[in-house]
Amino acid sequence: MMRLALSTLRGHRGSHLGTFVAALLAIALLAGGGLLLASVLTARPPADRFAAAAVVVAGPHEVKLTTTTTKKKDKVKTKVKTETLTGSRTLPADLAGRLAALPSVTAAVADVAVPVRAGTPDGRVLRGADGAPVIGHGWASAALTPYTLRSGRPPNPGEVVLDADLARRAGDTLVITTRTGTRQVRVVGVAAPDGRDGLPAQGAIFLADADIGAVAGTAGPTAVALLAAPGADTAALAAAVRDLAGDAGVHTGADRVRADLPGALPDYIGPISIFGFVLGLTGFAAVFVLTGTVTLSVRQRLRELALLRTAGATPGQLRRLLGAESVLVAGVAALGGAPLGIVVAEVVAARFRQLAVVPAQFEVRTYAFVLVAAAVAGMLVTFAAARLAGRRAVRIAPTQALTETANVPAGGLAPRLLVAAVTTAGAVALLTFVPLDGPLGIGMSFVATALLLCAVAALGPLLVRLLTGPISRVLGTGGAAGWLAALVTRAERRRVAAVAVPLVLMFAVNAVMLLNNALVADLAESEQAARTAPATAQVSMPAGLDLGTARRVAGTDGVTGAAITLPTRVVVAQGGKPQDYAAQGLLTTGTAPALDLSVREGALGGPETFAASAYLTRQHGWHVGDEVPVWLADGHQVRLRLSAVYERARGFGDLVLPAGLVAAHDPAGLVGAVGLRYTGDVPARLAATVPGVRVTPALGAGPAGDAANQQGGWELLMVISLGFTAIAVVNTFAIATVSRRREYAGLRLAGATPGQLHRLALREALITVAVGLTLGAIVTGVVVATFSTAQDGITRIVVDPLTYLAMIGGVGGLGLLAGLLPIRLVVPRRSLPALEA
Amino acid sequence: MRDSGTTVVELTGVTKSYTAGIRALDGVSVTFGSGSFTAVMGPSGSGKSTLLHCAAGLDRPDSGRVLLAGQDIGGLREPRLTRARRRRAGFVFQSYNLMDSLSVWDNVLLPQRLAGVRPDRAWARDVLRRVQLDGREHARPAQLSGGQRQRVALARALAARPEIIFADEPTGALDLATGRAVLALFREAVDDLGTTIVMVTHDPVTAGQADRVVFLADGRIVADLTEPTPERAAAQMMAVVAR
Repeated sequence: MMRLALSTLRGHRGSHLGTFVAALLAIALLAGGGLLLASVLTARPPADRFAAAAVVVAGPHEVKLTTTTTKKKDKVKTKVKTETLTGSRTLPADLAGRLAALPSVTAAVADVAVPVRAGTPDGRVLRGADGAPVIGHGWASAALTPYTLRSGRPPNPGEVVLDADLARRAGDTLVITTRTGTRQVRVVGVAAPDGRDGLPAQGAIFLADADIGAVAGTAGPTAVALLAAPGADTAALAAAVRDLAGDAGVHTGADRVRADLPGALPDYIGPISIFGFVLGLTGFAAVFVLTGTVTLSVRQRLRELALLRTAGATPGQLRRLLGAESVLVAGVAALGGAPLGIVVAEVVAARFRQLAVVPAQFEVRTYAFVLVAAAVAGMLVTFAAARLAGRRAVRIAPTQALTETANVPAGGLAPRLLVAAVTTAGAVALLTFVPLDGPLGIGMSFVATALLLCAVAALGPLLVRLLTGPISRVLGTGGAAGWLAALVTRAERRRVAAVAVPLVLMFAVNAVMLLNNALVADLAESEQAARTAPATAQVSMPAGLDLGTARRVAGTDGVTGAAITLPTRVVVAQGGKPQDYAAQGLLTTGTAPALDLSVREGALGGPETFAASAYLTRQHGWHVGDEVPVWLADGHQVRLRLSAVYERARGFGDLVLPAGLVAAHDPAGLVGAVGLRYTGDVPARLAATVPGVRVTPALGAGPAGDAANQQGGWELLMVISLGFTAIAVVNTFAIATVSRRREYAGLRLAGATPGQLHRLALREALITVAVGLTLGAIVTGVVVATFSTAQDGITRIVVDPLTYLAMIGGVGGLGLLAGLLPIRLVVPRRSLPALEA
Repeated sequence: MRDSGTTVVELTGVTKSYTAGIRALDGVSVTFGSGSFTAVMGPSGSGKSTLLHCAAGLDRPDSGRVLLAGQDIGGLREPRLTRARRRRAGFVFQSYNLMDSLSVWDNVLLPQRLAGVRPDRAWARDVLRRVQLDGREHARPAQLSGGQRQRVALARALAARPEIIFADEPTGALDLATGRAVLALFREAVDDLGTTIVMVTHDPVTAGQADRVVFLADGRIVADLTEPTPERAAAQMMAVVAR
């Protein structure tokens, strides 16, 4: 069978080219997306600040919840769910002393790590290499990496030593801001790890050991690192440490880096969701397109299959032939697709690094298993699609080879209806039951789109039959070409469906993503505007604003009201599963409100209380007055009473906590912005009392930097998706046209001029594109309208007319081009009809 | 045999070579009179089909002149060549060349639609009745037998009232009885409608139905038989092959 498959491949290079192209791209995208996801999942923090330590003890960096459920037959099931924190719980101050007494320990260093905003006295912000965060430590921590002095001396109180990279951009004096306030310090030395200027992804500032506790505002160290005598048994030491450390984590070897402050390490949570989405989207599109292409190319070869039947091939042999062929084609495609996947991953990663979606240190690792998995997946999909398409085709009667046309035995309506019913039901269930205004909204709207697309593909010929009637009556008027196009498209429903489905895919997937993202961005912007509308101005400070200074700003003469917000993240449990949410610490002063959260129920403020967004309240089934446990950024648990439910949470956060609580428990704990209401010359007075302050009009406060980065990531994702689906459209049109050589030759003999055939192709493409766009618009409309209604109760279908028109124009134009170009190759304008049929 | 004096197609010194210098036609001159039924015979590779294609304007000769109803089509380029062809000529091929996606009725009217003329529906109905396919107008070619399909192809050729019909092995894919029935229709078209037919065949019995048989060998006309019978055609064919 393999020999026959090989020879039919050689004989039909042209007809397998379409499958090859689809498989090549599908495997490349699967491999590329897989490599990106695997690389980001296994990405290790780029530098080990504890390289010189044998064992590092650090407070837990996650919230761990254990739920025990008793099932039938007295089976007890224990589930442990964790959620990573942005901060770290501090360790007991005496732990270092106790650990130092262990055998083979030469020193126990109490390590403090605190995020620091650093700037020059003239207000210039100082960041680490590639915009990395700057972390402050006590000088004792320098020995853990180790950083050694290149020049100068260790810091005394009021002095600092910088890493060599920061030192290049800093002067003699530095202004550092932490949650405890702003200090001016003198640079007295430059230190660096062996062989480099600093650690990648974090800048280091060393303060005097006497200063660091007050600057960080913590009672104890964030980690205790043990230096051991050379040749000491690390495992035994770690075991001994575990007995003393309680629930704190004990880290050795490559794991030591995890003991560092979470905020000091690059964050891969955003990239993981984006790359997961890249893989999901391209994976779906690739499988979808590949299945369609294989099915189409099997159907084009019915006549040849019938000939083989005449020659004595059994249906089983044909099935095996189709299977063997598809595996061969996909196998050859994998040889090119897998390396292409590496290129795809590298190109995407490079662009994402530029957009700062991933840290500058992110590197694509070439995992062989990912490449193999992509190749195998591509081959399996091709194989399954060929077998499925061949299921009925191989039962073709041998006599069909002798007749002009070969037709697949009709039937199989029931499985099509079943698939469509199941996928549509899935989509409806998703759109009905998943809260689309939550964090899963965009992802779920994509899954619903994918399910609806499967239903469209399953029902393709039926839907096309419904649509081609009216559409071809409109687009088929005038001239022989129009008349013929209307008849042909109505007769060849399966072919029209096969070509239209990639157009539906291209339109629906991309339009849903673009429109939903545009809607979310629009809503976030308008909510931001509405939130800040009561304020006269927003005050921020690029070099960092601590709560104390923010209070002084709020207390400036002439200010009638102020709202101080501190961005943070908190963890709330739902059904035994800790979940991390964006939150804000809020302090309001004065009599006039400077922030309008659109409180629906209850009232903001009051000690030991918090407010939650309407979405979160609904999710958790909270009521005003409920007491809820909340884990703060450092893992500290507090019980707060729900005092208010508010609406305007987009681009802000789902919880509002007392500002003092956030400042005390978030290691960063700096103020994001202060909304002020005032009359008179407040800005001038502010400039005098708080140097470096920036006063901007209330409107126009742009989205946070993170959101802007994510937006860039989404846009690149759209480019990939548009590109791939566009290739699929062109590929399908080409396969469908090339296989119609015979038909075109027959038309030429019946008296059609080449020009008439080109006009015929244009009309057919017009009808096909109209069918595709109509179905695409229906799928898009259903998903976007539901998504939009879930956001704010307003049902929108178009959302952004310009984007919508661009999508229609782009997809439609591409479809017309793809319909016209191949026929120009098959039927040249100045040639005689092809006679050999 | 009316008007056999006027010439519908005239080939003068037509030469046609394909690759490797093989001459499919080597200076062929022949005329086909109006209302005549001519069979073209010859061994495989003798240039029968090439002669038909050149005469019909489906292929362009290397040298020589082809007049179709008085118009020199040798020098015409697309799309004017197609326009000239579809106005003057109809085609019937061994492989029918019907459009699968069109009904019998639409297939019959196709050439006129393509020519942009108002289809003569009454005549088309008449033609379909003559080929005994009335009642099957809405059938698809795939639902018809081979003989029925070839009759649709003939009806299509006749419906446009061409001056000449070119047929290439029209009975080649049909069984004996069906082939005979189709040939009888050809004969009827010539006798009743005054159509000119040029038909390529390798079968002496088929050729015996024609008024004249032209024999080709190695791209030249080697014999020209009028009033043939199957026996005479067969004998002449033997002689040509034996040459």
